[in-house]
Amino acid sequence: MSATAETVKSQQPINLKILLESQTLQRAPFPVPVGWYFIDYSDNLKAGEMRLINLFDQEWVLFRTESGQKVGVTDPYCPHLGAHIGHGGKVCGENIRCPFHHWEYNTEGWCQKIPYAKVMPPITKRQPILRTLPTVEKYGMIWSYFHPNCEAPTWELPYIPELEDKTGYAGKRRGSWSANTCIQEIAENGVDVAHLRFLHNAPMIPPVEATYDGPRMVLNIGQGYIVGHTYGPGLNVMRFTQMNPATNKPCTSTMISFTVPVTHDKSQMNMCFRHVDYPEGSSELAFSKKQIDHMIGAAEGEDSAGFESVDFIVWNNKRFRPNPLLCDGDGPIFPFRKWFSQFYVNADPAKTGVPAKA
Amino acid sequence: MANVRVTPRGGGAELTLDAPDGRPLMEVLRDSDTGVIGTCGGMCSCGTCHVYVKDAWIGKLQPRTPDEEMMLEGIGELVEVRPSSRLSCQIEIDASLDGLEIEIGPIA
Repeated sequence: MSATAETVKSQQPINLKILLESQTLQRAPFPVPVGWYFIDYSDNLKAGEMRLINLFDQEWVLFRTESGQKVGVTDPYCPHLGAHIGHGGKVCGENIRCPFHHWEYNTEGWCQKIPYAKVMPPITKRQPILRTLPTVEKYGMIWSYFHPNCEAPTWELPYIPELEDKTGYAGKRRGSWSANTCIQEIAENGVDVAHLRFLHNAPMIPPVEATYDGPRMVLNIGQGYIVGHTYGPGLNVMRFTQMNPATNKPCTSTMISFTVPVTHDKSQMNMCFRHVDYPEGSSELAFSKKQIDHMIGAAEGEDSAGFESVDFIVWNNKRFRPNPLLCDGDGPIFPFRKWFSQFYVNADPAKTGVPAKA
Repeated sequence: MANVRVTPRGGGAELTLDAPDGRPLMEVLRDSDTGVIGTCGGMCSCGTCHVYVKDAWIGKLQPRTPDEEMMLEGIGELVEVRPSSRLSCQIEIDASLDGLEIEIGPIA
């Protein structure tokens, strides 16, 4: 990884002028990254329901077909004459219908009906004509794949036992937080282990190992204390393992984090927390719940702070430095940024530190 | 520039139109009160610029695209489509088409 870091660094030599400059820096100088993103919990969208959502720097029409089987996320503007489908449109059977001339589209954007055309335009038989996002239901949630150029997904969402196994796991705790920055800046904290000691008041700077494999990243923080599996910008599964002093056995609890870009510089961080389905009243259950308290904020009897109490003040007010001055105790920031750059299409190299793609 | 000889819809006195190079034939017909509508503007999605090409000219035109085939197949359920049928929005004028003879097709 050091070779990668040096390559990135050597393209942007540190000089004093760059360090002294801040007024041209931006909070989040990146486009919306490519990836699978959480849209909503499945049970928040009833059969036949349609509503507008704001994500990825634009409006979208979210709907569930009358059979309940399919969910669509479409661009709001009808390819016919540009009416806004989300204002006056409705779900008709398995389609969404534009209010203007009642053209109907299915969840994949194929035009299924034009009530007054004697002949359907040939293009409607060849391809979808309304932009839609590839959308699946998994983990009891709706997920869509965003790519600015409408390209198809190149990877799939993983199996997560804590959310998908019928038995063995429990925990209803969920949360959602707004951060006035982009996902890269939020996720960079995973490799920035030094901030854990100072911002979060951890007892020490833990060691970190980061491994990268295509859109996946695995972080091992503190030699197994936190192991995080990241799948693109929009999904992060972090397992916290500690010895339970009451049983002298390790206990693992899981934080599943699914952040979605509302705009290129505003993100909604959604999380749910799961633990092993221990019996009511057991010391394991109490310990698991304390672990989860600790992930979010300060747990009882501890000095260190979870993300809720300390990270936002930094995220919401910082600016991204494409050429930061790092010291020997800092975490592997540059390899992380190089890995994350795969999710950008047409990023500005000068502002982002992302080299232009050949 | 090409002279295009046009037989009106259903027959009648032939007229000759000056067609500039690079324009779709549909636009020349639409702008010359021949009854060609060209609703979709040349996107091969409405079938309102249907013409019959005189047999001698069929082989001299670019072949039909798949979309044009599909549109002609679609209007074939409503009007007579012949081997000489073309959508005039898919015919781009150039000098090689000087003397092209067509008849305006029926309204679907």
